[in-house]
Amino acid sequence: MTTIRDFMTEDHRRCDDVFAEVEQAVASGDWNAAAESFGRFHCGVLQHFTTEESLLFPTFEEKTGMYMGPTQVMRGEHVQMRELMAAAAESLAAKDADGYSGNAETLLIMMQQHNMKEENILYPMCDQHLAEESEALLPGLQASLAEAGK
Amino acid sequence: MQALLSFEQAPPIAAPFRFFLTAPLFSGLAGLLLVVNGGEIFASRWTPGALAVTHLLTVGFMLQVMLGAMIQILPVVAGANLRQPLRVAGIVHVLMLLGTLALAGGFLGVSEAAFPLAISFLGGGVIYFLLMAGLSLRGVPSTSATIAGIKRALLALLIAVMLGFSLTGGLEGRWPIPLLEVTRVHVAWGLGAWATGLLSAVAYVVVPMFQITPAYPAWFSRTFGIFLLAAVAAASLAVFGAVEWLAALLESTVVWLAAGYCATTLWLQSRSKRARPDTTQRFWRLAMLCGLVACALWGMVRLLPTLADDVAWPLLFGVLVLVGGFMSVISGMLYKIVPFLVWLHLQNRGQSRVVAPNMKAVLAEGKMTRHLYAHCATCCLLLLAVVWPSLLTRPAGLAMLVASAFLAHNLISAAGVYRHHAALVDARLAELAAGGAG
Repeated sequence: MTTIRDFMTEDHRRCDDVFAEVEQAVASGDWNAAAESFGRFHCGVLQHFTTEESLLFPTFEEKTGMYMGPTQVMRGEHVQMRELMAAAAESLAAKDADGYSGNAETLLIMMQQHNMKEENILYPMCDQHLAEESEALLPGLQASLAEAGK
Repeated sequence: MQALLSFEQAPPIAAPFRFFLTAPLFSGLAGLLLVVNGGEIFASRWTPGALAVTHLLTVGFMLQVMLGAMIQILPVVAGANLRQPLRVAGIVHVLMLLGTLALAGGFLGVSEAAFPLAISFLGGGVIYFLLMAGLSLRGVPSTSATIAGIKRALLALLIAVMLGFSLTGGLEGRWPIPLLEVTRVHVAWGLGAWATGLLSAVAYVVVPMFQITPAYPAWFSRTFGIFLLAAVAAASLAVFGAVEWLAALLESTVVWLAAGYCATTLWLQSRSKRARPDTTQRFWRLAMLCGLVACALWGMVRLLPTLADDVAWPLLFGVLVLVGGFMSVISGMLYKIVPFLVWLHLQNRGQSRVVAPNMKAVLAEGKMTRHLYAHCATCCLLLLAVVWPSLLTRPAGLAMLVASAFLAHNLISAAGVYRHHAALVDARLAELAAGGAG
């Protein structure tokens, strides 16, 4: 059976792949391809955040009563990553390869350490506490994440 | 529950940084010792100079960075927070500094008090650290190969250090121990179960993370650390039981496991999706290649017993593993961890109202590359110095001094960016607060 951890982790990996696509395009100086890939990356990550903040986290908080716990920390890190993505988008629009590389590098590490906390700590907690709800929750998560592709 | 509540509390930046900033001092001292002593240091692995250099690198450089990094990663990777991290870091750091100097002094015969002081300081520092780390990990389930690997590595560190203490007493004739056998076991626990165990546990996380590679195969990350620890433990028993053929077989198993780890990592890195290898990745590749060459050297010596009596091979093996392997990989990781922590702490300090400089603005790629080249030159010169000691030991020591100076300069300049921007952030926030109040 698919767990919340497996499902959300898969979406992390999808975002990583598109991040790498942008970097490849910037490295080869193809700014149009970079802008197109970055658009998909930005959209995918923001939709992932929205899915968590509007669906997964509230369900977890309601069930466990932990409103100021890990979900709050994750929301704070989402804010930081939104800022880094905005800075990277600016560098990309200005065709500033060095600026993009600095912002993207920082975003990558921020994103990866955030993912690690979610994949190793928060998602397993979700699976543990939301065992009863997960059957109904997973299709909702799937539908919400799919919004990014539209 | 404790892990949960402490979820967000990354330790203050000063906790890990103090370890990172002073580590190059010890590799610099090792370089200086090579310059001062010259070729005689490479007469064998047992010369006082060679023992002092080995421990300046393993305890002064490697262990120091590893303890600093551990303080940082325990909360992030395992959700395990040290209580009062600044205090723990401060005490452990001072004890490590003094203990390493005393240990090197002991090997060099500076004073009779040196070894007892080294045991007190290093013993106090490492055991206090292990106690606090153990407390923070209490009740943390091993939900990932990394958490399980870190726990095993900490146990191995305790054993390696205890064996080290017994050796210092043995060297001084305080108690009778079989020095060669205990040294053999001490090296297996220190470099095998502790250093390789910790490196692999951390690599499961950071290799895919920094380089966007596929994850290590699950069967590999699940079993590698267990086999490594079991092989080291069994080899120790065989060594102490004087069953030489079994001891050699088990030690070779440890070496081939390490070779398997290096090869797997290189294979994963070849599948990195990053556009081009950055300095960190080049340090990693150098490390894994040196690891593989060291393992091949070990295999050759086992196949050609005439080589086993040659004093040069353990020295070549040591240079490849310590300088080419661990120092490279540690430098590569520092170049991701340090700029990221500077950015993260400035970003938090600025409360999203003052923008922090990104990682490349904290530490430019060119500065790191300069260190990489100096480090590569050090590795090559040291290997050649083993063959032509009288000619090349001093140039190798000088190269190590220069490489350590580059690393120190890079880390200090990153810390300088932090201090400078922290003051700017505070001033800007005060302005905003005054503006808001007005």
